[in-house]
Amino acid sequence: MAVAPMDTVAPVRRPPRRAETGAGRRSRINGHLLRLPFYLLALTMVAPFYWLLITVFKPPSELARTPPSFVPRSPTFANFYDPGWTAQGVNPGHLQGIFQRFQVDFGFWRFLFNSLLITTTITAGSLLICSLAAYVIAKHDIRGRRVIFLMIIASMMVPWQTTLIPNYVIMRNLGWLDSYAAYIVPALAKAFVLFFLVQFLQSLPNELIQAARVDGAGEWRIWWRIVLPLLRPALAAMSIFIVLAEWNNFLWPLIIVQSDEMANLPVALARLNSYFAGPDHQGAIMAGGLLASVPTIVFFLVFQRYFTRGIALSGLKG
Amino acid sequence: MASPVPLSRRLRRYGTSYAMLLPFLALFAGFLIWPLANSLYLSFTTFDGINPAAFTGLDNFRLLAEDTRFHHALSNTGLYVVASVVLGTLLSLGLALAFSGTGWPHRIMRTVFFLPSVTSSIALMLMWKWVFFPSDVGLGNTIVSWFGGQAVAWLATPGLAIPILVLMSVWGGMGYGMVLYVAGLGAIPHEYYEAARIDGASTWRQFRHITLPLLRPVTTYVVVTGLIGAFQVFEAVYIVFQTGANNVGGVLDSGLMIVPYLYDQGFTHFRLGYASAIAWVLFLVIFVLSLVNLRVGRAMKEL
Repeated sequence: MAVAPMDTVAPVRRPPRRAETGAGRRSRINGHLLRLPFYLLALTMVAPFYWLLITVFKPPSELARTPPSFVPRSPTFANFYDPGWTAQGVNPGHLQGIFQRFQVDFGFWRFLFNSLLITTTITAGSLLICSLAAYVIAKHDIRGRRVIFLMIIASMMVPWQTTLIPNYVIMRNLGWLDSYAAYIVPALAKAFVLFFLVQFLQSLPNELIQAARVDGAGEWRIWWRIVLPLLRPALAAMSIFIVLAEWNNFLWPLIIVQSDEMANLPVALARLNSYFAGPDHQGAIMAGGLLASVPTIVFFLVFQRYFTRGIALSGLKG
Repeated sequence: MASPVPLSRRLRRYGTSYAMLLPFLALFAGFLIWPLANSLYLSFTTFDGINPAAFTGLDNFRLLAEDTRFHHALSNTGLYVVASVVLGTLLSLGLALAFSGTGWPHRIMRTVFFLPSVTSSIALMLMWKWVFFPSDVGLGNTIVSWFGGQAVAWLATPGLAIPILVLMSVWGGMGYGMVLYVAGLGAIPHEYYEAARIDGASTWRQFRHITLPLLRPVTTYVVVTGLIGAFQVFEAVYIVFQTGANNVGGVLDSGLMIVPYLYDQGFTHFRLGYASAIAWVLFLVIFVLSLVNLRVGRAMKEL
């Protein structure tokens, strides 16, 4: 996969390069020598990814061969879908592709759909709910807002695993196990998002909001028409964190999902991993991993600028 | 405290504000505050998820103090956390210093190191499991064979579990720290370095007395968030080291850590009370670490 170079947040400015003198060339060579360990490190970054990619396009027979090939000798898409495989007979050399492995309607597509649905719903829902609350806490002079904000900040120090067991019991008592509600509803109130949005709003002047109030706009209208647009950079930064976290969410789904249909991509892949251990099955498993990574990598490539900026914003100014 | 404004008027004035807060507060109370209190209560009980919880006082914590598997999980986690955070932070800083420029070679290098941060984490774990395949078909053993070595049963060798977990963590996380450090480097005014150069300061002295001190907030952030994240490691252990339905920690529990043990006790043995006690130990560790994070104090000053 071609990956476009990454944008910097605030690039380090360098003085214009002087005409190449002996000393200049020497220092440039020195620079490359100093970086040599990091170039080698980059090789160790690329190698496992390359290993994953070539695995996806090798037929099962080639995967079980030693020593392994580093360029697929007979590249194939059979790890996605193998037309030679049939459910009845034993076909030597043929295994199910990733799209033939799950006995649910739409097969693997179902998990892609589940993950997309859950991730987008949580992202949109939590940004709306948190921005509403953040607007009140940052800009409304109501009683108790200090206490509420303090509690929300304190809750950021709680690892979410502490609430895992009671939340599991709550889901069971509500009859929500194995449902989208169990994925989405407990994930909407995100303390970190609220905290970040409050800080962002506090740094903005009140004039626009005051002017809208003078013009007779209601608070809901102000939130929708003025606060949300003002928050756009902060919302973009937060949506990146939420999308990545929810897309990769594993422990919570592992506990609340029982059926095959309701698994998200991580749980479906983990199940595949526990059923099939042989090297010949790795092609289909890696194909599943590749498919699970494509949406977030595309998301990254499209919003690259926001990624680095968002990470820096939350890390440095938050 | 007696309020100067009657309740009805206050409600009319602030009703909308409270209505706007309500969705967040309701969810926050229902799925965070209440479960937190509930898990504290459960940690003082034996609870199997079916029969009502029976109060047993501090028994769970007493059992934890004597539980050798829990001690093993704690020492594994401690070793893993320290090694992965120290290595990860140093490499993040090194990468940022090496590749902070705007030219395309630097940008490509940054993208390469950042790639794991945007790849499905389960896909990465499955990839590692396949890299460390026990026979000669795996990448790890192929490389060993180039140097004339015998095939290694990577994941079944107890002494290799923590090093492999640290490797996976550092490999996957250093690009993220690098991005933070690059941003931090960009915020250092160039004039400082010019002044230092005029004064004849060496590159090392510039790094030691300008770069490093001015990067301190970034370092604090990278270290603290790294520590918190490392304490919560779960899927690396669960996906890569699990050897069967009843074993989460790998061969001889060599990869067992706090959260996998919590899962093991809570959801494979259904000792939900005992697992809650483990959850509270984790809570205390993370709580102390978070207090170190000064961002909270700064935020309160602003309100």
